[in-house]
Amino acid sequence: LSGDQSILVSFILTGQNYTFFFYFLFALSFRPFHVEPRNIVGDDAQEQVSSEAAALSSRVHYYGRLTASSDRLLVPPDHVIPSPEDIYVYSPLGTAFKVQGGDSTAKNPSIVTIFAIWNTMMGTSILSMPWGIKQAGFTLGIIIIVLMGLLTLYCCYRVLKSTKSIPHVDTSDWEFPDVCKYYFGGFGKWSSLVFSLVSLIGAMVVYWVLMSNFLFNTGKFIYNYVHNVSTSDAFGTNGTDRVICPYPNLDPDGDSSTLQYYVKENSTGQVFDLWWSKTNTIPFYLIVLLLPLLNFRSASFFARFTFLGTLSVVYLIFLVTYKAIRLGFHLDFHWFDSSTFFVPEFRSLFPQLSGVLTLAFFIHNCIITLMKNNKHQENNVRDLSLAYLLVGLTYLYVGVLIFAAFPSPPLSKECIEPNFLDNFPSSDVLVFVARACLLFQMTSVYPLLGYLVRVQLMGQLFGDHYPGFLHVFILNILVVGAGVLMARFYPNIGSIIRYSGALCGLALVFVLPSLIHLTSLNRRGELRWPSAVFHGFLVLLGVANLFGQFFM
Amino acid sequence: MVQNDPLLSSQVLLMGKSGSGKTSMRSIIFANYIARDTRRLGATIDVEHSHVRFLGNLVLNLWDCGGQDTFMENYFTSQRDNIFRNVEVLIYVFDVESRELEKDMHYYQSCLEAILQNSPDAKIFCLVHKMDLIFKEREDDLKRLSRPLACTCFRTSIWDETLYKAWSSIVYQLIPNVQQLECNLRNFAQIIEADEVLLFERATFLVISHYQCKEQRDAHRFEKISNIIKQFKLSCSKLAASFQSMEVRNSNFAAFIDVFTSNTYVMVIMSDPSIPSAATLINIRNARRHFEKLERVDGPKHSLHMRMR
Repeated sequence: LSGDQSILVSFILTGQNYTFFFYFLFALSFRPFHVEPRNIVGDDAQEQVSSEAAALSSRVHYYGRLTASSDRLLVPPDHVIPSPEDIYVYSPLGTAFKVQGGDSTAKNPSIVTIFAIWNTMMGTSILSMPWGIKQAGFTLGIIIIVLMGLLTLYCCYRVLKSTKSIPHVDTSDWEFPDVCKYYFGGFGKWSSLVFSLVSLIGAMVVYWVLMSNFLFNTGKFIYNYVHNVSTSDAFGTNGTDRVICPYPNLDPDGDSSTLQYYVKENSTGQVFDLWWSKTNTIPFYLIVLLLPLLNFRSASFFARFTFLGTLSVVYLIFLVTYKAIRLGFHLDFHWFDSSTFFVPEFRSLFPQLSGVLTLAFFIHNCIITLMKNNKHQENNVRDLSLAYLLVGLTYLYVGVLIFAAFPSPPLSKECIEPNFLDNFPSSDVLVFVARACLLFQMTSVYPLLGYLVRVQLMGQLFGDHYPGFLHVFILNILVVGAGVLMARFYPNIGSIIRYSGALCGLALVFVLPSLIHLTSLNRRGELRWPSAVFHGFLVLLGVANLFGQFFM
Repeated sequence: MVQNDPLLSSQVLLMGKSGSGKTSMRSIIFANYIARDTRRLGATIDVEHSHVRFLGNLVLNLWDCGGQDTFMENYFTSQRDNIFRNVEVLIYVFDVESRELEKDMHYYQSCLEAILQNSPDAKIFCLVHKMDLIFKEREDDLKRLSRPLACTCFRTSIWDETLYKAWSSIVYQLIPNVQQLECNLRNFAQIIEADEVLLFERATFLVISHYQCKEQRDAHRFEKISNIIKQFKLSCSKLAASFQSMEVRNSNFAAFIDVFTSNTYVMVIMSDPSIPSAATLINIRNARRHFEKLERVDGPKHSLHMRMR
């Protein structure tokens, strides 16, 4: 007879007693009473099942036979069940596999955490950086980017620390809305939810506008390429690296956002231009593509495509560098006065940049979850700062280079569009590739954002992430409708970003973290005047940021 | 026959508060199936239905004491002399979770008084049960409270090896001539060239004594073997069959489990596969007669003692 694995059962009846000779056969109908594993397939080849674990397994096996399966009398209580590191799965062949517990796989080294934060924070606001610097003035713009980065970093640090100062409660799976609820009750919960939704829905509207834009340009490029039409009707530079000014501003004192209404539709009378219009028809075509995707129950399929965002940003950085090299620098420093082609270094429109940056540096609603999986928790602050530094440098790089490389002698710096890709004609191949990549990436991220909105809203309102097809469908209609309306009538992503950024930043970046910090200090009796003044000042800054969007 | 009369057989009393874990303990040690409807609403009134015999002539009886039920209290008080008659062993279970320490001690002491009156030769064991929950040193208190009777204390929990070890120690102290048995077992093992020989109590498969010729890796092997065989007994009982013997063999070893004496089973492990099974089985059969004689030395004395009462 061979090996452990071959066993045969035979019954011999002798008189009144049954004598059993056991040679067990490993058929599925015969459960082995006990198989001591000879080897463990896992990380450590030398490891064996610990004897305590094997003994407990034997006990649990035996006790399970003594009662009915529904009887709770001999069910092991939680505290005797070994930790996930000691749990093994026995295969029928006598080997045991060590199960990698969920915890051990979720610990990331610092570099991965930093990258994850950078990846999550990098959004469409990168496209608005040159425009933002233009609105604030070159020098002031750079200063504001640095200052806003530091400010939002400090507020993010406050968010991260907010769970640590809660006594007596296990906060290991809390997110920032839970902390708000702990300190401010229902008001805290609902306000953090509402403002978080503002940022998400704002992002979704921006996505719709941008997707319409990119789809339009991609379609136009393909059409022109196929039909060999060359369009040189937009006002811009000559030469191979063409930069255009879509809405030339004859009045140098206004700001370019009001010029949307001067759209000069290309009146070549072609049917194509009638049916393929950036604001009139394409937003509606997108409904057909994206509304079904929003109604999916689970968004895990779309989560696979987040790597596309990284690729797009890297490609944009490459594109920006290439264009800057080709176009050269065109900078002229006028400190407070404006000239025909340049903008002053310090402008009163700077709140528009700070509004954009509030959303650009926004990660406060999920930083706790992102940092939770950091392997060395003591380095959290350092890693967060490094991530913010990288993000700030990326934004600065893109914004400064495009602004500096914008060919100012023929064109005015005022021409820089809120989406800087609009400054390149649709015939530009490299930019076409960028637009196509971004289009694809946004199409895959849009359902993910919709899912987040649905989970947060439905979860709070109905307690269930998918209360019914009708509820979800109505929500999707509303969100898509907002996007379509914006794309049709007000496709200025700079404005959408700054308003939604300032609004949600007011609560989630400035007010709530500061108030929570002050409240926890107060409860501990450690509140001091400098801290109260400083955090009160932060709250005022948030309010001023919001008002500045309306009045500047 | 005197031995068959439940009221006159020697009993092992398993006592303790309701819910202290006695039924689970009995089920685990004796491999009794706990049917759902025995999760009873009242206390155990078990003395008439006891059919768990072990160590040949001992009967296990469970009693709740210290319950809130006044009916139980009265029954307990009125039946005291019956309950505490012919007690060979008292095993008292304390629930470590209990919040009424004073009351528990009070009931324990009244049981001890009854023992002193009715069965002064009984051996007393205290189990502090559910020790996986809290760690408490109650041993000194219990020893002090038990005077003049001597008691042995154990910490137990069904989720680690302490329960098995406690009951093994109890059974070890109840076997007559156990040291002689051990000595003979060693000789037997050396003669038949076995790697390890274990002696199990028949009803509970608690290891009474063992001999091993070299160091074994797994310290929990006795309990594991006991669990395996008890599971097998449960399966057998479904067919109304009783377990008698077993042989397990592969290229590395051969193990033989067989009836030995009236109170015990033996397990012999041979690591030399060239020795044929028949040889070992003959050896076991021959040894059986010798060990039965050893046990019978005490037997007649015991039943003599019974008849005189």
